[in-house]
Amino acid sequence: MLRRVEKLLLDLAVVAVVGLGVLITGSVFLRAAFNSGIPDTIVIVRELMVAAIVLPLAVATLDRAHIVVEFLSKMMPLRVQDWLLVGGSAFGLFALSPLIYAGWREVAHTVESGAFFFGQLNLPKWPGRVVFLVGISFCWLRLLLMVIGDIRTIRAGGSVVSPDHEHEESV
Amino acid sequence: MDGTVIGIVAFACVIGLLAVRVPIAFALAGVATVGTFVIFAFRTGTFAPERALKPTTSLVFSNSFDLIHSYDLSMIPLFIALGHIAYRAEITTKIYQAARVWLASVPGGVAMASVVGCGGFSAITGSSIACASTMGRICSPEMLRMGYDKRLATASVAAGGTLGSLIPPSVLFIIYGIFTETSISALFLAGILPGLISLLGFVLVIFVWVRRTPEAAPRFEGQITMRDRGRAALDSWPAIGLFVIIVGGIYGGIFTATEAAAVCVSAAVAIGFAQGKLDLRGVIESLRETCIQTASIFLIAAAAKIFVAFIALTGVAPSIVSAVTDAQLSPVMLLAAIAVIYLVLGMFLDPIGIMVLTLPLMIPLVENYGFDLIWFGVVIIKLLEIGLITPPVGLNVFVIANVVGKDVAIDRIFSGILRFLTVDVIVLILIMAFPVISLLIPNSM
Amino acid sequence: DTTLILGEAGPNRGARAAALQSFADDVTARTNGEVNIDIQWGGALFKANAAAQAIADGVADLGTVIAVYFPQEMLSYSFADLPMRNEDAWVGMRATDELMRTSDAITKSLADQNLVYIGTFTTSAVNIACKDVAIRRVEDIAGLKVRGVGAYGDTFRDFGANMVAMPIYDAYQGLDTGLLNCSQGYSYAVAALKQQEVMTSYTLLNWGQVGALGIFMNKDVYDSLDAETQSAMADAGIAMADKLGELITAANDAALETMKDAGVEVVDLPAGERDKLVQQGKQYVDEWVERANAAGLDGTSLLEQYRTLLEKYAEERDGQGYPWARG
Ligand code: NA
Ligand code: NA
Repeated sequence: MLRRVEKLLLDLAVVAVVGLGVLITGSVFLRAAFNSGIPDTIVIVRELMVAAIVLPLAVATLDRAHIVVEFLSKMMPLRVQDWLLVGGSAFGLFALSPLIYAGWREVAHTVESGAFFFGQLNLPKWPGRVVFLVGISFCWLRLLLMVIGDIRTIRAGGSVVSPDHEHEESV
Repeated sequence: MDGTVIGIVAFACVIGLLAVRVPIAFALAGVATVGTFVIFAFRTGTFAPERALKPTTSLVFSNSFDLIHSYDLSMIPLFIALGHIAYRAEITTKIYQAARVWLASVPGGVAMASVVGCGGFSAITGSSIACASTMGRICSPEMLRMGYDKRLATASVAAGGTLGSLIPPSVLFIIYGIFTETSISALFLAGILPGLISLLGFVLVIFVWVRRTPEAAPRFEGQITMRDRGRAALDSWPAIGLFVIIVGGIYGGIFTATEAAAVCVSAAVAIGFAQGKLDLRGVIESLRETCIQTASIFLIAAAAKIFVAFIALTGVAPSIVSAVTDAQLSPVMLLAAIAVIYLVLGMFLDPIGIMVLTLPLMIPLVENYGFDLIWFGVVIIKLLEIGLITPPVGLNVFVIANVVGKDVAIDRIFSGILRFLTVDVIVLILIMAFPVISLLIPNSM
Repeated sequence: DTTLILGEAGPNRGARAAALQSFADDVTARTNGEVNIDIQWGGALFKANAAAQAIADGVADLGTVIAVYFPQEMLSYSFADLPMRNEDAWVGMRATDELMRTSDAITKSLADQNLVYIGTFTTSAVNIACKDVAIRRVEDIAGLKVRGVGAYGDTFRDFGANMVAMPIYDAYQGLDTGLLNCSQGYSYAVAALKQQEVMTSYTLLNWGQVGALGIFMNKDVYDSLDAETQSAMADAGIAMADKLGELITAANDAALETMKDAGVEVVDLPAGERDKLVQQGKQYVDEWVERANAAGLDGTSLLEQYRTLLEKYAEERDGQGYPWARG
């Protein structure tokens, strides 16, 4: 279920990137060909950027795409490496929590105050904030499930750093 | 509690966390959050954690959200998408085949061509990160596929990416110009020669590297006829066409450097479809990969921005600058001290962050010494560029690591970077010792 | 001793930075060294588009807020951005300052957001720089590619300009490559960004300014200060308007000289043409009044007070000269 939601979020991010490309190319084309343009391009691009960047965070987490420095940990026994990996994810849970809390406050604030961006369309400020909160929250949830899953794997005698390690040795 | 102490402890904590394999983004954001909380809690002298919650979360949120909520940075996902789509549409492969055929007699020729390509791309984009992420996605996989040494295939592009801010246009020069009220166009001109010298230095590193270990860059086997060369050159037209569109569009006044990324992606998609190399599924797959990579790059950048705001609160930067001021150093020693300060800050912080934290205090100091601010700007930008490839926090290296995926560990890239750093330091010393290198072009205009 | 943190999104260079620094020094002087202000330049703590919330939350104790980023929250301040023939920097600032301080409705609207008004800046009069064209009549605007500012840009669009969105720092390159025909701006900023190198004409619009940017303070922190310190900050805030008026007027004059020396033609838009701009821009003033009314601020009365204050300070200037030029 969660994977489906994450996949959906990723595809929404893809839509946002397509939107960036079409919107900017379109405004260049309209300017060059018809001396006209699309209203509030900059504001819309900014809002789309939030979707393009934050929504895929959960999938990036699942892919273990977060960049780590490994040269010290690599010298340690596999068991230690496993626990360090879990520790890193757990630290991520801690590091992202303030963003979720602040994101809630920010969403509530922008919805309540009716804040909007200066421009022709006076677009509201809340959508980008909501998207940010959604993206970070699902990233956090994914991290939590990975921490739990990784601990289970280690307890069961497996390895999370190199899952096919035992297999390699037996070959 | 003294802010400077908190700042130094924070730097140590980041190193410690990175050493135990905590992802870089989490380490920076986590330490910055705790540090900010501590500073706000002790603001009135006594420990009052209840008063720290609101400002801490507000600072963390606004700094990360505003970094992402950016029009200018939209070029980064778009340029990464360009790399993916050009790869899938075989646009990059064709240009690499051409480079391989034409440079068959030059050992490491393809790596050199990649670095020169970075120099060319620098003339389009003002951002080193954009330069590294685009060129990294385009060059490194092709070099890896040709059997190039992993360190060479990645480090050359990470280093080449740092040309992005030295060769105009350049966001860093614009910010420096705003902080010093110097002519941005003069700064742009001043960056050209140092940029080209750096480029030459990188080519030299590749030359020596491949000379010493020829297996790092496999030679092209077999006979190459003029016909092969002609064919390869013709086949590479889409890449050349894209380049012409970008340069012509920017310098011909059709679109801005930021808009160039979007136009180029659209053009690459159109070429891919026209050649039958791309279908809708291919575009979607490319964009999925783009999104995942963009997300993890921006997560680090956002965390780095939070860290800068925290460091601003500590007052570390003003205490360093006032220590240097009080020391009343000779001009040469001052320059050496500045180099050390920026290199150390560059280990942890991003270039814009460092400028914002230090320039307000540093510029009056160097003005008192009678330094030329245009030349000093080139020195600073070169120092900041070096910071992009130094461990532990080297944004360009992270970007490359990110776009090549799990094939090459980050430590391998850093170890390859060492040789390029050596040349960077030599170039830096040249720029510092001979201001004429920077001032020749602006003064002759 | 109290140290207050002030967040400023701009650099520590230029007229506005000098005025801000003089405000900080003035506060220290007026409190006999009791209160120090530590300015964080360049948006190190928060960017301009997060300022209002960041100050309200206490990230900084006080800081610069630019109203255009907060059209809803700073509605009660943004009258100072409206194009209503308020082109004199000092007159505009003092009128704005007095209204911000004396209107209970504004004070309450800010207090609801945990903010207190401290002092105002201005970017000074909005003019327009062009390359290879010159705006001598409003008819010249049609078909031009223009980088615009707020309601001034909207009015240009109404006259047929194609508005191109880009940061002011990119305007140099935009004019140079022909991507832009014209860029709206303020004389000293145009010169600071060396646009005279690429432009050929500069039209003085005598129309209005962007004046809704100023210093606001976290209300909790403000309330924790004693009455003497509070009034010292108010006095320093008023003095800051005089200081910036002096600096920006000189900087703008010098900038015009720089442009003329670079061979730029400086055009004074005829009063009749300017009135067409004012007439067309009136709808944006009316729009503001409507929104203010909807927010319970009585926009008509606020604008009336603002006009009266503009007249009051224009009279003071005409009678006694600018404060920095008085004996
Ligand atoms: Na560049
Ligand atoms: Na670094």
